[in-house]
Amino acid sequence: MDLLNYLSIGFSVALQPANLFYCFAGVFIGTLIGVLPGIGPVGAMSLLLPMTFKATPEAAIIMLAGIYYGAMYGGSTTSILVNIPGEAASVVTCLDGYQMARQGRAGPALGIAAFGSFIAGTIAIIGLMLLAPPLSQFALKFGPPEYFTLMVLGLTILIYLAHGSMPKALLMACFGIVLGLIGLDSINARPRLTFEKLELMDGVGLVPIVMGLFGISEVLLNIEQVIRREVFTTKIKGLLPTAKDWMDSKGALARGSLIGFFLGILPGGGAVISSFISYAVEKRLSKHPERFGKGAIEGVAGPEAANNAGAGGAFIPLMTLGIPPNVVMAMLMGAFMIHGVQPGPLMMKQNPGLFWGVITSMYIGNIMLLILNLPLIGMWVQVLKVPYKILFPLILLFCLIGAYSVNNSVFDVYIMILFGIVGYMMKKFDYEGAPLVLAFVLGPLMENNLRKSLIMSQGDFSIFFTRPLAAVSLFIALFLLVSPFIPGLGKKRREIPKEEIS
Amino acid sequence: MKSKDILSSLFWMLVGAGVCYGGYDLELGTLHDPGSGFIFFWVGIIMVGLSLSIFIQALGMREKGEGLKSIWSEVQWKKIVFVTLALFLYAYAFSTLGFIICTVILLIFLFKAVEPQKWSVAIMGAVLSTLTAYLVFQLWLGSQLPKGFLNIG
Repeated sequence: MDLLNYLSIGFSVALQPANLFYCFAGVFIGTLIGVLPGIGPVGAMSLLLPMTFKATPEAAIIMLAGIYYGAMYGGSTTSILVNIPGEAASVVTCLDGYQMARQGRAGPALGIAAFGSFIAGTIAIIGLMLLAPPLSQFALKFGPPEYFTLMVLGLTILIYLAHGSMPKALLMACFGIVLGLIGLDSINARPRLTFEKLELMDGVGLVPIVMGLFGISEVLLNIEQVIRREVFTTKIKGLLPTAKDWMDSKGALARGSLIGFFLGILPGGGAVISSFISYAVEKRLSKHPERFGKGAIEGVAGPEAANNAGAGGAFIPLMTLGIPPNVVMAMLMGAFMIHGVQPGPLMMKQNPGLFWGVITSMYIGNIMLLILNLPLIGMWVQVLKVPYKILFPLILLFCLIGAYSVNNSVFDVYIMILFGIVGYMMKKFDYEGAPLVLAFVLGPLMENNLRKSLIMSQGDFSIFFTRPLAAVSLFIALFLLVSPFIPGLGKKRREIPKEEIS
Repeated sequence: MKSKDILSSLFWMLVGAGVCYGGYDLELGTLHDPGSGFIFFWVGIIMVGLSLSIFIQALGMREKGEGLKSIWSEVQWKKIVFVTLALFLYAYAFSTLGFIICTVILLIFLFKAVEPQKWSVAIMGAVLSTLTAYLVFQLWLGSQLPKGFLNIG
């Protein structure tokens, strides 16, 4: 009964004309950036954050969330038609999606990707609705030690899943914590690492850092070499999958949705890793694994369902615990805070309209996406043909205006350009941006909870080991950190596919 | 890989040492009451330790390919330098020249510098994009973009 009550609150918010408009804008822009290679959901969300300043918190979060799950839809179009993933969560869709297109079955591939995304997105929303309230209740019992150790665990999982060297990922997380703590000390208001710059007293902004690391650096990487893209020119017909396609895909859709949802909840998980795991599971379970990579529709349905369900599941830790599980959610948390809302266990009670409004808007957003992605597929194919030489000056322009508009500060523009160069160099030297950004957001919260815990325990570190949840979180984090040195486990970690958010 | 890691680890070692010193300078406090520099100090120490481990690992590796050169091979250097410089100059002149003039000049430059377009395309593209951005951000969203000394916009 309560749930129905909450749903009606949610729909009354989500169906307001302004919120419907922002929802549409979000999923439209999300599909667009999903289609366009060279800019991911994190970059797009930071670019568009200033656009939400005049909107209500509900409208702002509805739009930004729409960009995220919209990008998951759009990303499949480029994977299938161009063999270039629009964003990282669609990498695996290339394997069978592009082969289907080459065999003249681009329509069913796009169709099953869109329907699969819709079904999985809906399953994830139902899961979110059912799991969020009890988890919020449970989280009310958490104290600073639990929060601190949960954040350590979240960061550790992200680092564990990071592609390549773990010390490098850890180093980036440390650098992110340092950047996040620049500014006035939250306890005694003492300036820290501000170099007597007035602009740094409030700390370094999230938006310029993210835009630099994921926007500017991506443009620099793209222009350093000549990019050639070839759009598959076959006429796309018959978007509706056949009865046989549905029969072949139904298991993959169900499994992909569940894998995606539960991996999405885990810190460090999310859309990318779920799509790879779903593909591996489908291939293993298939009676004809040799068809995979040659145009098997299950190879499109499973990962596409998984990446959308993963995107939905990732909202749970943010909205119930106030802990972002990945970079996109870290960005969303920044947006919550800019709009004066603290995500966490109290949000459901203090802001039921916002909480349930965002959740129910995802239902509406999923329907909008289905309409946008199937009948309008021709339009997205045209967008694919926009040459990068026209696109990149516009991306740079958006970055510049976006960074400036947050505080009307040229200093932020300099910070963004600087982090664009830092991000470019990081990619050249094989360092990842994702741990840096997540640690940047979590850093101040971690410090605050660590200091509170130590004050509570009068300097006794055993507080982290005597409270059950804190102890379990720390134990898992420790295990993950040492596991690369355990023979066998280290090899398994290296086999985990690349987790790159942008 | 080897020389890349050696170079980058030395850089991060320096950054870590700097953070460590910064933390020490800010006062560490006690475990009962950690000071402003407590976290910086320990995070700095961890950074130095991690950089050291990357450095030592790199020393034991064999160089693959051309090492550092491989990072920059086939890279169109001029484009990267031009675009970065243009962005810095844009930020520098933004308040003085104002949004409209600055943006039109930047966009013409970007359209011409990386993969040269016809002048007509570059100018039209720059003017139209600037005006659209101005309409959206300044007039619709109420951002306060600088007008510059000519007071345009």
